[in-house]
Amino acid sequence: MNDKPEAASGVSASGPATSGLGWEEFSREVVDFFASIKLAMFLFIVLAMTATIGTVIQQGERPETYVQEYGEDAYRWFLRLGFTDVYHTWWFTSLLGLLCVNSLTCFHKRFPSVWRSMRQDKVGVSLAFIQGMKQQTTLSLNQSKEVVAERLVRLFAEKGYRVLAKSDPGEVTVYATKGIMGRVGAHVAHLSATVIVLGGLLGSYYGFQEFGVCLEGQTYHIPRGNFDLRVDKFWIDYHENGSVKSYNSTLTVIDQGTPTATKTITVNDPLVYKGIWFYQSSYGDAWDQIEAARINIKEKGSDKIVGTVDLEWNKEKAVDGLPLKMKMTDFVADFAFNSTEKKVFSKTAEHANPAIRLAVDERSAVQSTPWVFYHYPDLFEIKDSAYQFEFIGYQPKKFTGLQIARNPGITMVWIGCTMLVVGMTLSSLIYHRRLWAKIVPGESGVTLHLGGTTHKSQIDFQKEFRKFTEKINAQAPS
Amino acid sequence: MMRSLFLFDMTFWLYLAALGLYVAYLFAKRPAMQMAPAGHPLENIEERDGAWATQLGQVATLVTVFGWVLNTLALTTRAFERMEHSGTFAPWSNQFEAMAYVSWAIILGYVLLEFRYKIKAVGAFVVGIGFIAMGAASLLPYRYQTAEPLVPALNSYWIYIHVSITLTSYAAFAMAGGLGLMYLFKERAVNRGSQSRFYAAFPDLETIDELGYKAIMLGFPLLAFGIILGAMWANYAWGGYWSWDPKETWSLIVWLIYGAYIHARMTRGWEGHKAAIYAIFGFLMVIFCFWGVNFLLSGLHAYA
Repeated sequence: MNDKPEAASGVSASGPATSGLGWEEFSREVVDFFASIKLAMFLFIVLAMTATIGTVIQQGERPETYVQEYGEDAYRWFLRLGFTDVYHTWWFTSLLGLLCVNSLTCFHKRFPSVWRSMRQDKVGVSLAFIQGMKQQTTLSLNQSKEVVAERLVRLFAEKGYRVLAKSDPGEVTVYATKGIMGRVGAHVAHLSATVIVLGGLLGSYYGFQEFGVCLEGQTYHIPRGNFDLRVDKFWIDYHENGSVKSYNSTLTVIDQGTPTATKTITVNDPLVYKGIWFYQSSYGDAWDQIEAARINIKEKGSDKIVGTVDLEWNKEKAVDGLPLKMKMTDFVADFAFNSTEKKVFSKTAEHANPAIRLAVDERSAVQSTPWVFYHYPDLFEIKDSAYQFEFIGYQPKKFTGLQIARNPGITMVWIGCTMLVVGMTLSSLIYHRRLWAKIVPGESGVTLHLGGTTHKSQIDFQKEFRKFTEKINAQAPS
Repeated sequence: MMRSLFLFDMTFWLYLAALGLYVAYLFAKRPAMQMAPAGHPLENIEERDGAWATQLGQVATLVTVFGWVLNTLALTTRAFERMEHSGTFAPWSNQFEAMAYVSWAIILGYVLLEFRYKIKAVGAFVVGIGFIAMGAASLLPYRYQTAEPLVPALNSYWIYIHVSITLTSYAAFAMAGGLGLMYLFKERAVNRGSQSRFYAAFPDLETIDELGYKAIMLGFPLLAFGIILGAMWANYAWGGYWSWDPKETWSLIVWLIYGAYIHARMTRGWEGHKAAIYAIFGFLMVIFCFWGVNFLLSGLHAYA
């Protein structure tokens, strides 16, 4: 961006040293600092380095995990530095903020000159200026300056350049430029950083993200949207080789008591209602309910299995040939007992110690509600009962894991992303180049001083410059 | 069972042959500005040498192009196999296929570069990287090489565009890395005043530098586009456009590293030597992002 012509034409010539630090100088210093490429490089590198932290240290784990892996001292430092949630620490956010300030200040400082050169170009330049360029040549042509100027104008225009000419007494200056959009692109990309970060902030302040474990047939209230969501169906499709192909939930939104929208969601295809997105995120075995259980009934006296029964969830069943009625009323995947509240609960979501509670009615005389354990068949015995029950198998009930999210900043993020891609593409494919030609009449014909500059793609420009030179020479009748 | 695997194999051997030919070409080629010993014009010898080198160079290009055609065929065959087995088309759906695609893109980039700038010496480095990518792919265990069905999250049209664009940017960075290496070799030879014809066949330092810069200028916006497409995909699949998953974060890190490079090029003193070293460093980071993250760090991209 700080290419030579501007520097040479004295735009940023540093003035004489002033004794006092006036407001003008101070603000210019500040702008220069925040607009500097060095700051941009520094921020890019520091952001890159700090971003690695979160990929090496697991983020958002429980304290025990860190203490176990890194020790207590290290964990204390992690907390102090925010290493357990790097990307939301004040210093990481500040770095992003600084990047925005950097790119905005750069825009403020440099875009006006791009804008000016889009509308009005500097045609008249000194001979020394042309000769100081990286690409420059001097040709002697055997034509009048008007003819040469006209040919140059045509030649440059053919190549898509915008051409301006200025006639001074004694000499003609032709100026040609192309690809200013490349520089505009860079500035668009700079602005996009701020747009994306603002969109991100908007999302993190006014959006939310929750995870819901839902069972088929149940209705759930979504307080954030003030409507209900019913899970009509959940199922899994498999590939031929048995691997999971897709998992799907049919959801119905019930707003003010009336079903208003139904959609089958699957991974990559969410349901959107009132700005809230419902994603099919995962599935698993429920820890508080199962579809069916298989029970062996053993006669205590003979220690023989006298019957096997399959129970469905919460449905009473009479056992054939035995004076028994049974019902499965509860299930826990990982049995635990809270002795103060006298309550059974599932310690984890894993099926580590599955147990069901039966409601048994024996001859309408003995009634019992025993817990029976999948892994420990002989743990408890029911008094007065002639039978022992063994929990030998079950069919788990699948839950559907729904990600529920709203992100009001997302449109802004996509706008910023579009700006970034368009800006970067323009800036890398199109490069700004400028040519100046000074035609000075000599003794026989004219002397042509041609110079050109670009801020990148030197070899392509060199090639183009050489071609121009060749063409100018070739067309000259000698 | 997998016809494409045979084609991938053939591609590998052809790239190896092409690499050998390019290196041979470098040794055979006489420097254009050969100093003739005083009083002994060397025209005849030079002409013979030159023709020999030119032929080698032509064969190298031919073999490269042929290898690339086979690579294309292999990817197409794989696309059809995927269609049969896993309900998607994209022949870049696992690590192996991704590597094969990257080498395809690198070689394509090289062939275009050769046709446009007529510089063959670059082939020894860039085709070398394409060959290494192909070789690394074939070293993967067999179970990584087959067209297994995709997990549900990957089964989406986003895979066509997000993965291919990101991988293309990797290929561009690989080219830049190869050119950076070439720059350092050439620079060393120049500094030592080496008369070796091997180095004399290289394009001049400025050209190598500029080509490397161009490759990065191509890869940089492509990577941004790839990351953004990934974010859009994540927004549909995972319920959030950015979740700081290791792969995501590493691709951002790589992007930031090249962002620093792009800005550094605007300031004086960051061309040439420093830029070459930086391009190699950047490429190492790309390799880590592509391979290291998959095998060393866990995350949502773990299946890739």
